[in-house]
Amino acid sequence: MADIDVGLMRGTLDLLILKALTWGPRHGYGVVDWIEQATGEALLVGEGTLYPALHRLEAQGWIEAEWGLSENNRHAKFYRLTATGRAQLRTGLSAWQQFVEAASRALHTTATPRTA
Amino acid sequence: MSERGDWTRVFRLGVGAKHIERDIDQELEFHIAMRTQRLVAAGLAPEAARAKALECFGDLRTVRDSCLDIDHQRERTMRRTNHVSNLRQDIAYALRSMRQNLGFTAVVLLTLALGIGANTSTFTLIDALVLRPLPVPHPERLVTIGNPARTGGLSEGTPRNDIVSYPVFADVRAQSKLLSGIYATGRASRLDMLADDAQKEPEHPRGRYVSANFFSVLQVPTALGRTFASDEDRAPGGAPVIVISHAYWLTRFGGDRSVIGRSVRLNGVPLTIIGVTPSWFTGDIVGQRNDVWIPIMEQPALMPNSPALTDRNTSWILMMGRLAPGATVAQARSELTTLENRSLIENAKGNERVSVENNVRETPPQVEPGARGFSYYRHLLAGPLFILMAAVVIVLLIVCANLANLMLARASARGREMSVRMALGANRARLVQQLLTESLMLALAGGTLGVLLAIWGSSALIALTGGAQVEAKLDARVLGFTAALSLATALLFGLVPALRGTRVELAAALRAQGRGVSNAERGTGKFGLGKMLVVAQVALSVLLLVGTGMLVRSMQRLQTTDIGVARDRLVLVEVDAERAGYKGARLLNLMRQLIARANETPGVAAATLSENGIFSGTESGTNVRVEGFTAQTDADSNLAYDDVAPGYFHTVGARIIQGRDFEARDNESGAKVAVLNQTAARFFFPRGGALGAHISSDSSTYEIVGVAADVEEQDLRAQPSRRLYVSSFQIPETPGHFSLEVRTAGDPNALGESLRRSLATVDPSLSLHVESLTDLIQESISQDKLVARVVSVFGILALALAALGLYGVMTYATTRRTSEFGLRMALGADPGSVLRLVLGEAMLLVAGGVMVGMPAALGAMQLVRHQLYEIGLLDWPSIFVALLVLSASAALAGYVPARRAARVGPLVALQDA
Repeated sequence: MADIDVGLMRGTLDLLILKALTWGPRHGYGVVDWIEQATGEALLVGEGTLYPALHRLEAQGWIEAEWGLSENNRHAKFYRLTATGRAQLRTGLSAWQQFVEAASRALHTTATPRTA
Repeated sequence: MSERGDWTRVFRLGVGAKHIERDIDQELEFHIAMRTQRLVAAGLAPEAARAKALECFGDLRTVRDSCLDIDHQRERTMRRTNHVSNLRQDIAYALRSMRQNLGFTAVVLLTLALGIGANTSTFTLIDALVLRPLPVPHPERLVTIGNPARTGGLSEGTPRNDIVSYPVFADVRAQSKLLSGIYATGRASRLDMLADDAQKEPEHPRGRYVSANFFSVLQVPTALGRTFASDEDRAPGGAPVIVISHAYWLTRFGGDRSVIGRSVRLNGVPLTIIGVTPSWFTGDIVGQRNDVWIPIMEQPALMPNSPALTDRNTSWILMMGRLAPGATVAQARSELTTLENRSLIENAKGNERVSVENNVRETPPQVEPGARGFSYYRHLLAGPLFILMAAVVIVLLIVCANLANLMLARASARGREMSVRMALGANRARLVQQLLTESLMLALAGGTLGVLLAIWGSSALIALTGGAQVEAKLDARVLGFTAALSLATALLFGLVPALRGTRVELAAALRAQGRGVSNAERGTGKFGLGKMLVVAQVALSVLLLVGTGMLVRSMQRLQTTDIGVARDRLVLVEVDAERAGYKGARLLNLMRQLIARANETPGVAAATLSENGIFSGTESGTNVRVEGFTAQTDADSNLAYDDVAPGYFHTVGARIIQGRDFEARDNESGAKVAVLNQTAARFFFPRGGALGAHISSDSSTYEIVGVAADVEEQDLRAQPSRRLYVSSFQIPETPGHFSLEVRTAGDPNALGESLRRSLATVDPSLSLHVESLTDLIQESISQDKLVARVVSVFGILALALAALGLYGVMTYATTRRTSEFGLRMALGADPGSVLRLVLGEAMLLVAGGVMVGMPAALGAMQLVRHQLYEIGLLDWPSIFVALLVLSASAALAGYVPARRAARVGPLVALQDA
């Protein structure tokens, strides 16, 4: 199975992170885990891009962090969605929808483009 | 998970660079660990699993760095917005607490306004007179030559260098290379101005004669018209023009622009107004208004009988120069000293030469930075003003101590609030900042009120200076001073209470129900901060009260001291017969007529005249040779001098110790006679035998026929100088300026106008100026009165504030100890003993303050002793009164809370506990 470079799709990772947090606070590992499971391991998120993205979203005020205890009783940094983050997710989703439809129309078209 | 809005504030993640790094490392470590755990679960060996996890992660360092970047950036923005929102929160909080305690706020603002207002008022005056440079381009390049305080000086006799003659100025100006320009300025004595032909009574603008380069050296343009042209300096009478000041243009000419080109008559001479100065330029004499500037070449026309432009013995000119590029004041000083000394010495005639040489060697000409211009009032008032400044600073310190105590009491009342907030995670710095914000707002509001108060205060102060004309401008300098002062005040009264108030012992505070227990409360302990502040207040009050006492007593002595004449009964009439053209025999005749006419005026007991008058501000000196006396130094043969009319000593009320007064026979044809004062007689004739000896001055020889008691002629503080009196009718050239001394039977002030009218009948064209000696003396001690009055006001203010502080602290302390008193009384103590206990504690504080304040007061008085007149350094009456007043106020302030304590019923007190 080929890994698709999610980073290519601008904003996709952000949306996935926000989505991952809609069911409650998660730590970074949990976010990776969720994405892998939710996409049926079709998308593998590199940690190298995930953590900077988390910190960036925190700086933007879309998510908040706090230290808490993980399921195996370890100190972990939990992220949760803020009200702004929730709103961003909503607008992001509809934009994503439009993007996918447009891109897919283009990718699946059989007609040759008319040249001027 | 809580959704409350303050969730982040209380449980925020750690802040600061260290926290950020640690958090990121922990977060990433957690990720690796989770991954490793899963791989182990999948069957890998732990080491291999961790290696695999790390490999999966990729470049850990890069991830870490980019996370760090993002977090640091975020931290910075957060801190910035936090500051702004904290400040907004603090201000809102402060406003709320100010509104909640309106009484407290009012007291604080009022005392602050008084303290800061007094400081601003005094600073306004000091700035205007002492600190501020002239409003001209590059004032730092100006130098003054001569004594800058002698703005109205005129001396006839041996050439001088504190003020100089016109020929000396001309020599120096022609030869100086280090100055790009030097101008001359001299006071114009009384000017009679008629603005148009319709005007009957002349008015008397204040004027100065200046060389034509006056405006060009100062680099001052005109607002209207032109300044003097350089050729208006060539020949006497060649420049019949004047420039008038902006203020005079507005008040006298109603701001009429057509005034340029208009002709006015000054002393009868038609002069054309060619210019009006800009409003920001009030002249080069600080503290004195000037209305007209007249080219010095017009002086002979306006004063036809005064040779002030040609005579080297008439010194009346001050000089101001502008340094040439690259030249320094020190270089200019050495050049000007050389030039001026040469001009003085080479032109000195006969035996004058030796004394001129000695004079310039002993005191070379004063050449100083001239940025602040000339000023008589600066010289006069700088000392008193700095005493005032010290007094108002003390008042402000007392205000600060008072407020600090109030804030301390409040902080301790809010102890529980502070404890709770700190228990909830607010950090101490944050709380201190909040309390300081409150102090700062109070101080700034107080400062604003203070500025408003200073608008009134500085004009009141100026009015009290008796004559100085200073514009009390509240400009950027003054406002800057006030702002800095308010800031310092806020720190002074706010910082310690804020630190104390937030040093809370959490457990103890939370345990105590309903009451805050903070360290602030310890301020009421034996040596607590609150009590120390009261001691400081008392000490400062002692300082101010003792000072007040001594200054007031010094002023009273000045007002009542025996100056050797009948000070309450004398009227002086300044006569200018010179301008009316009197000289020689005609002048002597006029003098006799005036004395006779004065004697005929009802209410006059006796009349005489003298050249210089008493407390008139003019003084003459001469060199003499005394029979039987050998002068050791040049100064030995120098003494003060006056020429007087018959009956002089009898009329002014001075005692003749030996021999006789001047009589009618001491006239033009009589034998030349002289009278010495006692100081001169003792100096020249230490073994007696003055009577009958001969004294020579100005090529005339006189026989000494009398010795008179010393008279303080010009200055109450100065030691009486050696003085020689001769007859006005027996000297070579009797001056046309003189002063009639008239002793009255009743109130001298009531006689003034009738005397003037009666004298005017002798010759209506005479210029007469009547003033009582009391007024003249009052004028001469006006700065003493200023200091004594104003310092008294501040002394009373200080006392009231200190009493208030003591009252506050004692009330607070007794309230806290209610249960103790209750217990004491339950155990049998009577109310009297409780009263004594509390009062005793109050008096202990006062005693502590006195012990600190007394040495300080004595030290301070040592510093200002030159301001005191006939007051010893240990002035017991002042000290006694100060301590009495202080103890009485303190007893009153302590009595009220003490009585309240004594009234506490045992039961109430114990229930309360």
